Amino acid sequence: MTFSRRTTLQWMMAAAALPIARWVPPALAAGEGTPPPFDVIADWPAAIPPPAPAKGYGRDPDLTKPVVPWPLTFTKAQRAMVDLLGDLILPADAQSPGAGKLGVGAFIDEWISAPYPTQLKDRAEVLGGLTWLDAQSWATHGAVFVALTPAQRAELLDALTVANPVARMTAPVQFMDKLRYLFVLGFYSLPEGKADMGYIGDQPTPGDYPGPTPEALAHFEKVIGQMGLAMPKA
Amino acid sequence: MTSGAIDPAGATADVIIVGSGAAGGMAAFILTKAGLRCLLLEAGRDYDPQKEVNMMAPESDAPLRGAATPDKPFGYFDATVGGGWQVEGEPYTMREGTTFRWYRSRMLGGRTNHWGRHVPRWGPYDFKPFSRDGHGVDWPISYDDIAPFYDRVEKMIGVNGGRIELENHPDSPPGCLMPPPKPRVTEMLIKAAAENIGIPVRAAHTAVLTRDMPNDVAPRSACFNATPCARGCTIGAMFQTTTSFLPMARATGRLTVVTDAMVARVVMAGANRAAGVEYVDRKTGMRHQAKARVVVLAAGTCETTRLLLNSAPGGLANTSGQLGRNLTDSTGASFRAYVPALANRPRYNEDGIGGQHIYIPFWLYKEQKNGTLDFPRGYHFEIGGRFGIPPAAALPRVWGAGLKKAVRSASGATISLTLRGEMIPNKDTFCEIDPTTKDRFGIPVLRFAFRWSQHELNQVAHGQRSAHAVFKRMNAAILGPELPPEQLITAGGEIIHELGTARMGPDARSSVVNSYGQTWDVGNLVLMDGSIFASGAHKNPTLTILALALRASERLAAQMKSGAFA
Repeated sequence: MTFSRRTTLQWMMAAAALPIARWVPPALAAGEGTPPPFDVIADWPAAIPPPAPAKGYGRDPDLTKPVVPWPLTFTKAQRAMVDLLGDLILPADAQSPGAGKLGVGAFIDEWISAPYPTQLKDRAEVLGGLTWLDAQSWATHGAVFVALTPAQRAELLDALTVANPVARMTAPVQFMDKLRYLFVLGFYSLPEGKADMGYIGDQPTPGDYPGPTPEALAHFEKVIGQMGLAMPKA
Repeated sequence: MTSGAIDPAGATADVIIVGSGAAGGMAAFILTKAGLRCLLLEAGRDYDPQKEVNMMAPESDAPLRGAATPDKPFGYFDATVGGGWQVEGEPYTMREGTTFRWYRSRMLGGRTNHWGRHVPRWGPYDFKPFSRDGHGVDWPISYDDIAPFYDRVEKMIGVNGGRIELENHPDSPPGCLMPPPKPRVTEMLIKAAAENIGIPVRAAHTAVLTRDMPNDVAPRSACFNATPCARGCTIGAMFQTTTSFLPMARATGRLTVVTDAMVARVVMAGANRAAGVEYVDRKTGMRHQAKARVVVLAAGTCETTRLLLNSAPGGLANTSGQLGRNLTDSTGASFRAYVPALANRPRYNEDGIGGQHIYIPFWLYKEQKNGTLDFPRGYHFEIGGRFGIPPAAALPRVWGAGLKKAVRSASGATISLTLRGEMIPNKDTFCEIDPTTKDRFGIPVLRFAFRWSQHELNQVAHGQRSAHAVFKRMNAAILGPELPPEQLITAGGEIIHELGTARMGPDARSSVVNSYGQTWDVGNLVLMDGSIFASGAHKNPTLTILALALRASERLAAQMKSGAFA
């Protein structure tokens, strides 16, 4: 999978094929951590109702006509909230549109609705996180997240991306880690995201593999020079 | 168990071949070419890469962006049909307290449709491990016996690669290999850093064509440097039996292929003679029998052994008691690092021929012989790292413009070293028939027991130190904590290099088959897959499976032509 099947798969494939890698877990020194800029921290929601039973695509789907067979989850309000979060987490800039505008929210919905163990776990984390985010928005500002001002949203997202959260913020921060990486995966696997990264590939190039460009080689020589390494022999 | 009617398709076969993967494909090609009529029984469904592989679609066309799921463990577009770590209605079990993972597909061409393609030659030490360190057993053949078959297999399947020029890594004679591709920047950096601290890096041997391979029946094209190989290859650049041996064997007019034929047992004509096999039509559930002069089992290491265990009380061809024993997998462990010096490096196309272009062969044979290592058998590293989506661990915990900037910067700045090492057979690792569980066809299933020994754990711990030393030499940030080997090492079976369970040897007392895969007990019953390995070197096994199958098939054809097993 051996098949690179295993590690011999394209790096992007590997990134997509592995269960989402964990963000480096917050270093939790007992009783310490960066407190959020609000006094009341909302409770993490107790239980997320399980989805209606659904079937996956099975072990022998038609690979030439991919379809998503399971029903989606988000309500209109949840989808709007996720789209807004997408445009905050990966905002529009000169190189690419925002992840919300690009429709990556549909991928998040597809992901958390899938009847597989990884996705079922992520479903509880994401739906729980959306509920928590609204509850926290109410507790601090008396309005749901989408109704907050840009500065209020930014304050919340900053509190959800601290390196070392206090204990009561651990679950919300892990939710934001998950959501951010789902947006990264969903966004950068689209043509717009690949273009943003400057990705070059996926094009048949008959003949011998050309290898690095002169520019890439010049950069490499500089890099190994700084490391005190010799240019490897072919 | 009731027996079915004689299958007319097999009525005129000289040889029944069970399985259409690497070994079964080779057997079908060689035996039909030699003029023998073959009936090939494949448990999976018919499969045509030309029609079914979605080679060019982006991952964003697939559900979940192509991510791995229990339905498709290597991603949506991976070629595996009908299987994975589980096959519906065909379970396997484990002895309490042990773990084993068994990867199966149910398709024509078997696991050659989606494999690693890394095809190093085994060296002289790999065939005489007991003589070298006192563990396990020696093979009844040496490197010199197998070398001419390596030469031919490399030319038959198409292998690219360069010279290695290291102890126990034999080089191919001129004319065997196609030219290897140039390395990518990440690979060149690993080479520069590793060789600086005394770890060699060499061009890998890979079963991907870098030159066209003309053929009247199954022409194959040189790799066009795009698309993930594990999806299967419609241009035939990657070796798989469905685009090579099987169409070539069919073109002789002497090959009959029956798919969805799940073989349940070998049928005997007497104590020492096989009459044929009984199989279940997976679509109808009907049982059929097929008869032939010779039965070749190439169903895959554990499936072949299961068949023998189910064919007689105590197992067919099991005078030695070795059937099911000596099961091994490769050790596995993965190490990753983020290389700040590679951040924002200039973009170019790094697709290349799909997998790694260069790798780290085992380099410590002298130290091993001297006794300065605390593990007896070797390992190698496969190399990874390309442009693409950075792993979460290589990204800072930020949102907004900073996250976009971080992704751009980290794309192409993460590298990986993936360890594959040799496991020594141990008495606690085997497969047997589960006393109660049967599959949906009523065939008793396998039960596994698996244990890594301290040899493997010490080896993986050494691998971690080596990988981290390479990373540190390039000032990289190691992703993931340093772990004890028990937590680093893959589960048994996970590397999908299961070998042994019907090992070859010098006599019927200590082994199941001779060096040609012929069972000691039943002369016209021949095993040709990984089950017959006497040990499992760290080097990936498929090239050796093919070489042994070529050697065994030619000997079998010669015997049959001179009237044997009539």
